[in-house]
Formats: sequence, structure tokens, C-alpha cells
Amino acid sequence: MSTTVFTLTRQLTVPLEAEVLTPDVIAPLDHDAIRALPVFLGKRQYRVDDLFTVEGAGSEDLEIRGEAGRVKWVGRGMTRGSIRVVGNIGMHAGAFMKGGSIEVSGNASDWIGAEMTGGLIHIHGDAGGQIGAAYRGSLSGMNGGAILVDGSAGLEVGMRMKRGIIAIKGPARDFVGLQMKGGTIFLLSGAEIRTGAWMVRGTIVSFKPVRLLPTFSYACAYNPSFLSIYIRHLRSLGLAIPDGAREGAYLRYTGDSAIPGKGEILVWQPGRDSRSVN
Amino acid sequence: MGGKVSCTLGEVKNRADLIIYWGGNPAECHPRHFTKYTLTQKGKFVPTGRKGRTMVLVDIRETPSAKAADIFLQVRPSKDFEVLTALRAIIKDQPVNEDALADTGLSMVELRDLAERMKKARFGVLFFGMGLSMTRGKHMNSAGLLALAAEMNAFTKFVAMPMRGHGNVTGGDVIMRWSTGYPFGVNLSRGYPRFNPGEFSTVDLLLRGDNDASLILGADPGATMPQPAIDHLANTPTIVLDPKVTHTSRIARVHITTAVTGISAPGTVYRMDEIPLPLRPPLRSPYPTDEEVVRKIYTAVAAKPLLPTPVMLHQPIG
Amino acid sequence: MPANSSLRITGGKVYDPANGINGVVRDVCIEDGRIVADTSGGRTIDATGMIVFPGGVDVHTHVAGAALNFARAMIPEDHRRNTPFARTAHRRGGIGGSTPTTFITGYLYAGMGWTTVNEAAVPILTAKHTHEELRDTPIVDKSCLVLMANNEIILDLLETDEIERATHVAAWQIWAAKAYGVKAVNPGGVAAWKWGKDAKDLNQPIEGYHKVTPAKIITSLAKIVDDLKLPHPLHLHCNNLGAPGNFTTTLETMKRLEGNRAHMAHLQYHAYGGDDWPTMRSESVTIADYFNAHPNLTTDAGAVLFGNTVTITADGPWQHLLYKLTGRKWGNLDVENETGCGIVPYTYKEKNLVNAVQWAVGLELLLLINDPWRVYLTTDHPNGAAFWRYPEIIHLLMNADFRKEQLKKLSPKALKRIVLPELTREYSLFEIAIITSAGPARALGLPQKGHLGVGADADVAIFNDDKDVARMFGYPRYVIKGGTVVLEEGEIRNVVEGRGIIAHPTYDQKIEEYLRPIFQQYYTMSFDNYPVEMERIEHPDVRTCN
Repeated sequence: MSTTVFTLTRQLTVPLEAEVLTPDVIAPLDHDAIRALPVFLGKRQYRVDDLFTVEGAGSEDLEIRGEAGRVKWVGRGMTRGSIRVVGNIGMHAGAFMKGGSIEVSGNASDWIGAEMTGGLIHIHGDAGGQIGAAYRGSLSGMNGGAILVDGSAGLEVGMRMKRGIIAIKGPARDFVGLQMKGGTIFLLSGAEIRTGAWMVRGTIVSFKPVRLLPTFSYACAYNPSFLSIYIRHLRSLGLAIPDGAREGAYLRYTGDSAIPGKGEILVWQPGRDSRSVN
Repeated sequence: MGGKVSCTLGEVKNRADLIIYWGGNPAECHPRHFTKYTLTQKGKFVPTGRKGRTMVLVDIRETPSAKAADIFLQVRPSKDFEVLTALRAIIKDQPVNEDALADTGLSMVELRDLAERMKKARFGVLFFGMGLSMTRGKHMNSAGLLALAAEMNAFTKFVAMPMRGHGNVTGGDVIMRWSTGYPFGVNLSRGYPRFNPGEFSTVDLLLRGDNDASLILGADPGATMPQPAIDHLANTPTIVLDPKVTHTSRIARVHITTAVTGISAPGTVYRMDEIPLPLRPPLRSPYPTDEEVVRKIYTAVAAKPLLPTPVMLHQPIG
Repeated sequence: MPANSSLRITGGKVYDPANGINGVVRDVCIEDGRIVADTSGGRTIDATGMIVFPGGVDVHTHVAGAALNFARAMIPEDHRRNTPFARTAHRRGGIGGSTPTTFITGYLYAGMGWTTVNEAAVPILTAKHTHEELRDTPIVDKSCLVLMANNEIILDLLETDEIERATHVAAWQIWAAKAYGVKAVNPGGVAAWKWGKDAKDLNQPIEGYHKVTPAKIITSLAKIVDDLKLPHPLHLHCNNLGAPGNFTTTLETMKRLEGNRAHMAHLQYHAYGGDDWPTMRSESVTIADYFNAHPNLTTDAGAVLFGNTVTITADGPWQHLLYKLTGRKWGNLDVENETGCGIVPYTYKEKNLVNAVQWAVGLELLLLINDPWRVYLTTDHPNGAAFWRYPEIIHLLMNADFRKEQLKKLSPKALKRIVLPELTREYSLFEIAIITSAGPARALGLPQKGHLGVGADADVAIFNDDKDVARMFGYPRYVIKGGTVVLEEGEIRNVVEGRGIIAHPTYDQKIEEYLRPIFQQYYTMSFDNYPVEMERIEHPDVRTCN
């Protein structure tokens, strides 16, 4: 099955909202119908072909090329197929996603995978904030699926997430796992401050030390068996996790007692014997 | 998030016996706050006035407001979130790591004492200012304080209120909400209101350069915003409506001088507790009011061909 | 279309209960915004095969003001979840859902054929805000009720038995708020909430008082309203709203009101038996029996529908309880000296025993109360459900089979707690016209509303005669407001401005000398800034009371 390729032909001075660029919308259509689909540049509605060249008929596999760092809502609500972005992508990529995959060779912006329930997103560059998060006022963020970021991430990664995996290879900023309700977040380069703030449930695993709030208490040192499974799974998805991560001890902290929550933050202590009791 | 528990200022005047100011400097920024609403007035249920009240000030340094405080708690810069989170645990008798807490500049002893006072109060109020809402954490700092106030209601009567900025920012918030459903950061480009702070809020739009024109009314971003935002205003068509030539005016394409609200322009202002108050301007101005200018602009814009209503593609998700 | 246009609606089956017309095919003629006996030269709408109703009148809803606007701030996710309204050449854009924005509120009401709304709760201190929002609510005519049962100036006068003075103060307050009538919410309870307490016993003095009990507030206010000859009776939200076993409070309250007129608000929330949540059950039969036997009372259903909504009420203590029970977001605002409000987003679920009982009780009351002229269709919007879901309730009332289908969704345990399965009554179109229009208009004391006789305001809704009742009432073919066709074939075509209906009771001007010093001492604004200026009211329609 061939790919439908969209190449941005214009320099965007304002954001372009392109929620039509999703396999569910594109796959059933022919070439002309795709070109006529609406996109929104600022306050004006345009046709897709006013801003993109389109190659191919409708397919479940889409490719987006060009300076797309301002193109928002790509893959919104997708249930199947794949989107490959060659370059950067804008906000809300994969928001409400249910299945399929999105791969971005460059950087992504804020709100990727927000409130998603399934599927896989892999950003090879940096991502912004609110990854897999809840939109303002919503009770829950992502409820399934996986988001991998090879570069850095911004604020509020996994805010109010309920289920699913987020793995960030580069450093993350404040409020990772804010109000988390479930699921797992992997931080391969740690985060700044307020990690796990107000978490209710869920697991944050950090391979670098993280500054914790006063409402987190040290519980024990151990090496949970579920972690090996996760680490193997993440490696299979293409995320490089440090060797020896399956060995050694993890310091387990519980919190956030302000709620009071039953979340946990596991901080890797390389070379530490998990059998020592502290 | 957790919610917001509040009241009008008269309730504070009549009932409050514990007043906590957090990240604000009312002595300089809201100069009549103490004397009109919170400390010195004899309230209906606080007949001894100042003697019947305890004022706690939490800030990163001793401002002039500290002179009016019974207790001053000096918190280290950008540690308010940690302190508020710890307090939420302390009032619930939940564990707090004292070493981590020490990092905030406040001790367990001080916070336990504060929590006790809060629980023993008949009616407690938390006022919070930009020292909280504009420092690292921003809306989460405010959320922490509001959550604390809501949770305190399990023990006694407790409310919280923001110390709003100058101008009619509360009025703007109120009217935006009733006409668009959202308080600020509203995008109308798809024909209906959408809200997403960080995406559509002003400073973020300007920093990213996501808009290609600006109309500034009653604000001076050219003085307060980060340089990339100011540069963007300078590089795109910017229109300023203001009684004075502001920093923003100097980089704008158009400046229109308008009458000063309240002095020469009438209207309704909403106080920080959202009570509407009529403005009765005592003076006349040779300049038009903001309203007159905006209406003229609107009429001119409305005379242009209307853009078609954007196609709505599918039901909103979530 | 200019208001003096002539309009003839011909061939439709007219339901005009106030004038005894029950499904008769006849013309309705309109000129200058009013119903006339005959007209010519203007437009004719061919309503053959259609149903013609007087425009709907909502006697109890929360659509404007500080409390509602606070709720808007709390539920951005609800705004996002509901289909938005894009602007067109004729219409503003906005948000629907549980707390529609003001312009959309007007379009949604008119879109259902409802043309008059009564905003049920206004604090005097923020009445300017309410009126500004009402001004921005297009098409419908509006009235509002001022909150009084926790007003401390009034309560202090009741403590010293100064009823005469309290009457003048109340009249002054109604005029200051530019209101139409008096609302009492959880009498004494909201005042007690200012100390974190409630008032659950009608005969116990409330926090801070020795002689003022909820019962005393209720009977005094009912008398004051009657003495002032206000068009609408005391509009009362009883103590103990929502609590299992509260039917006893409701019964006792109604007994105290014998000899006075009164309107019992959202009766559904006040008709529960049981001792606690697990044993909660319906007591609609007991309540309906008493109600049927006492013609001094009117009521509105306050029915619940399953789904998401947000609860907004002046009943602060109840909302704190709901927050503790559900862990949902909680908003609270106490208004100095006057009242307060509490807000909690909520979801009514079929499988929740309590919600199932609530859903049943609203319908039971509508079916058990015999006289449709005394019970009106409301959901206490948005508390029980959004107002734009009224057609679903009409469907449930008119079709017993449909009700039976819905009952299957409840748990067997819930079915044992309610009487709805036994009720076979079906409302006729004539009765629906009464509970949605003629009845509430009469209860509000609005003689030009709720009917299609000569002289009435030309507020008309024209529906398809559709077996699918919910669809019929959800999508009128035409809606006429004050003689202008505002909706046609599903589209808002003309946006007109509504009127603000205000009562002007008589009081001695000297009462201001009493009020001014109290105000200066206990309030935080200048007394001169307190009353609402007439300029804020859109097309004021003042009713003097004598």
C-alpha cells in the first residue's frame, strides 16, 4: 500500500490547523478529494492543496514533509495506520489517538498524545510540554498507548495520565507526572523540580537523581521485576536504555502525601546492591 | 482542579479572624486593603477590629506589608509550591520529609504552628498575589493555595481570593466568561471560542510569533514582556489604544489616545471579588473613550466581506 | 422583519389551554408584536399539519449572573465536550453544554420555542452583573428573583420582630435589584454556612440568632411577599435539599405555608425518604398527596436526567457535602450579608441507586400531581440537566412505553425504591402546553404570556406533528417572538432583543435612612452604588404592585 505524501509548500507565519491529516480521514479518499479537504490558517479556511503538494491517493500511511513546526493537530483521534513526519511538527500531534503510530524525525511541540488511549508516538528530536496530558479541566490525561521522546521534554509531562507509558530520553522540566493517576513514566535523564507533584497512583522511574517534594518519603531499595519487562519492551520500541538498568537497586519513594496519594518514584542507583536494607 | 472557595470582601471584613497574605504586598499594591477590608475595620462579628485578627505574611522578603503582620514567614524564592504542598499534608496529619522541607526556608515547627492557627481560626482567608501566580510554577502555585483553602473547610470556614492586578482585569475575565465560556486566552479563529493557556495566552503567542497583528488595549506589553515578545510586536502591525504613549506605543504602527477609564470614561469595573461597581467619571476628556474607538473599528471591519463560517469537521472529542 | 409586521399562522392545530383551545385548527393572527383577532397584508405561514403552542415559559432556571459565571470557569472540559456554536452573519459564536454562554442561551431557548425565562437566584450585591448577562441573552424576555432568606439585614429585623420594617426593606431590596420576585434558598442555612454550619431543623434558631428559625423566615417572607402584592408568590427552595428523609422537612414547610401562596422550587430534590444514602427511596406519593390537597401551592419539577451536568445553588452547605462525597471540583462564593453559592460538576448515572431514585422522583411528581396548572416543567437548570434537554422529559411524560424502556436501565434494587413503574398516566399535548407555558405564565403573574388570546405577546412555537416527541419539541419549525419570526427551518434567522420584566413594590422612601448606616457599617461599597440603575435593564417592563 503506497503512502500519501504531503509536502508543505509555504512558509507559515501563523499556525496551520490540519486535523484532516490523519489516516482515518485520508485513507478512504481519492487524490482530488484529499486536495480539497479543509485546513485552517489563522482565521481563514483553505484547501489542503493551497498549502501542500499531495502525492498519491488515500492510504493509511501518511508522510508529512517541509517546515511543519507550526502544523497542529496532525493525527488527531487516529485509530489506525501511520504518520511519518520528516522534520518538525506542531502542537497536539496524536491528541486523542486510539491506535496506529506517529513518528517524527525532528522536534514536536506541546500536547503530543494528549488524552490518547492507544497507539505509539515516537519523537526523535525534542518535545514540548504536556505530553500525554489532560486538557485544562479534564479529569484524566492519556489512558493507554506509548509515547517515546529521544530528546528533551517540557513541563507537565504525563499530567493526570491514567494508563500507558511515556519515556523521555533527554531531560524533562518541572511537574513530570503532575496529578498522575496511573501508568508509567520513564525519565532517562531525570527532570527538574516537582516531579510527581500531587500524584495519586502510578510509577515514575528515573535513571538520574531527581529533586523530590517534601511530601515524598523514602520507602526502600529494591529491584522490581516488572521493570525488566518494561525496559525490554521499551528497547524493542527503539528506545535506548542504559546497560545495566535491569540490574542494580532502585530507591523507592512514595507520595504524594498531600493528597494523600499512593504513587511511587523509583530512582536508579547504579552499582547498588538491591539486597541492602536502608 | 480542586476548586475555588471564596467570598466577597465584606465577608472578610465581618468575620475573618485569620488573614494570610501569600506572595503579595498589599501595603504598596492594594493600599486600602488593610483599612477597608481586612485588618482595621470593626466587623459585624469581629467587633474588636485589629485586636480580633491575626495577620500572617508569607513572602520571599520583608516588604512594607510585613510591618502590619503579626507573623512573617520568609519563604525562599520559588519554593511556595513546596510549602503549600507540605501544608496540605500537614493538615491531614500525613508525613512530610523535614530535610526536604528545610530547603524552603521554613521549618516543620513553623508550618505546624501555621496549620494549628488555621484550624483554630473561626474564619480564615488566604489572599494570594503575583509573587505566587507569576513565579516558577505559576498557575500550579495558585492551584496549591486554592486546594489548601478548599481542604481546610473540613476543619473550619476557610476561603481564598486572588489579589488582582490593576485595571479592570477582573471585569475582563467576567465578561470573557459569559460571552465565550473562558476567562482569557480565547481563540475565535475557527468561529467559536477555544481555550488553551500556553497555546493561546498572550505572552506565549507573542513569544512564538504565532499571530501576525496585535491590538493592545489597557496594557503595556512593551514594558513587561520578554524581549522576543516585544520584538514580535515591533515587527508586526501593532495598534495601541491608551491614554498615554506607552512603551508599546513607541514600537507600534498606530497609537490612538483614549480617555482615562474612571476619570473621563464611564463604565462598570469588577472588584477583585467580582462585585460590579459603577464608575462615575468626574472629568471630561478631549479624547474618545476606548469603547467609542473600538466600536468605530468594529463598524469598519463589519463593512468588509464576511469570511464564510468555518466548516466544523467533526464532533469535539473529550 | 419589523415588529409592526402582520403575520398570519394558518392551518395549524392550536393548543391554547388558557383559552380552552385544545387542538383546534384555527388561525393565529399577529400585528405589532401582539396577538390580534384578524390581520392582512403581511406574511402567512402555512402551518397545515403542524402543532401551534404559546411560547415556553421557564419558571426556574440559572442562566445569568455571578454563580453561573463562576461555574463556567470551572468546567472548560464541559465546554470542549459539547458541540460549539460557530458565528454566522446573524448569530454570535459561543459554547453550549451545561452552562451555555449568554448569546447561545438565548438561541438555545428560542431554538426550542421557549420565549420567557425567569432567572431564579440573584444576590442584590451582584445584580448588576446578572442584568448585564441578561442583556447579552438575546430573544427571550427575562425576569429574575432576588435572594432574601439569608439576607442578614432581614434576619436581624426578624430577630427583633420588626416585620413592618422588614417589609419595607424587602420592597426596597427588590427594587434595588430590579428583580421580579423573592427567592428563598435553604432559609437560615446559607447564613449558617458562613460559619461552616447549616440549618436542618425548621424550628431550631440558626447560628448567631436566638429567635430566627428557618420556619420563621419562611412564614415571614411568605407574608411579606403577599403584603407587597408581588405578582409571583414566595419562591422557596426548602431546607435539607437532597438529603434522604427530607420529605418530612418539605411536608412541615408546606404546612407552615397554609394560608399563604407559595411556589415550591424543584420539588424533586425535596421528596426523598429513607434514613441514609443506602436506604434512600422516593416519597413522591406523600408529597404529591399533600400538594394536591393544597391549592395555595405551585411547584416546578426540578427533574433529573442521566448524564453530565454541573450543580449550582445558593445552598452552600449542600455543595460542600457533595464535594466531600464525590471528590469532584468544588466552587464556593459567600456574598457578604446576603447569600452564597456552591458549585460542583456532577454526573447522574443510571446504575447509581441515588441517581435512579432522583430520576424517578421528578417524573413521579409530574405524573402524581393532578393539576397541570400547578406543576411546571423544569430541571432546575443546570442542576438536574441542561434546559435544552426538556424535550426528553416531555417524551417521558407523554409515552408510558418509552418510560418503561428507560426503567429497564435501572438496577432491580432501585426499582424497589420508586413508584414510577406503577404509573401509567400519559400527558396530552394540551397538558404539555400547560406545564411548559400557560401554567408558569400564570404562576409568574404574567397575563400576556403563556397564551394565544387577543392581546397576548406574540410568542409562538410551531412544531411538526411528530411521533418522536423529543425530536418534535427539540426542533420547532418556526418560532415567533414578539411578532418576529426568529427561527425558521432549524435556523435562527432574526435576533431580537428581549425585555426585562421588573416588579416595583411600594415602600416608604424613609427606609433608606435605616438602611444607609447599616450598609456603610457592614458592606464594603458605597450605598449609592448599591442599587441597579434602570439603564442596565434592556427594554424594561415595570409592573407596579398595588
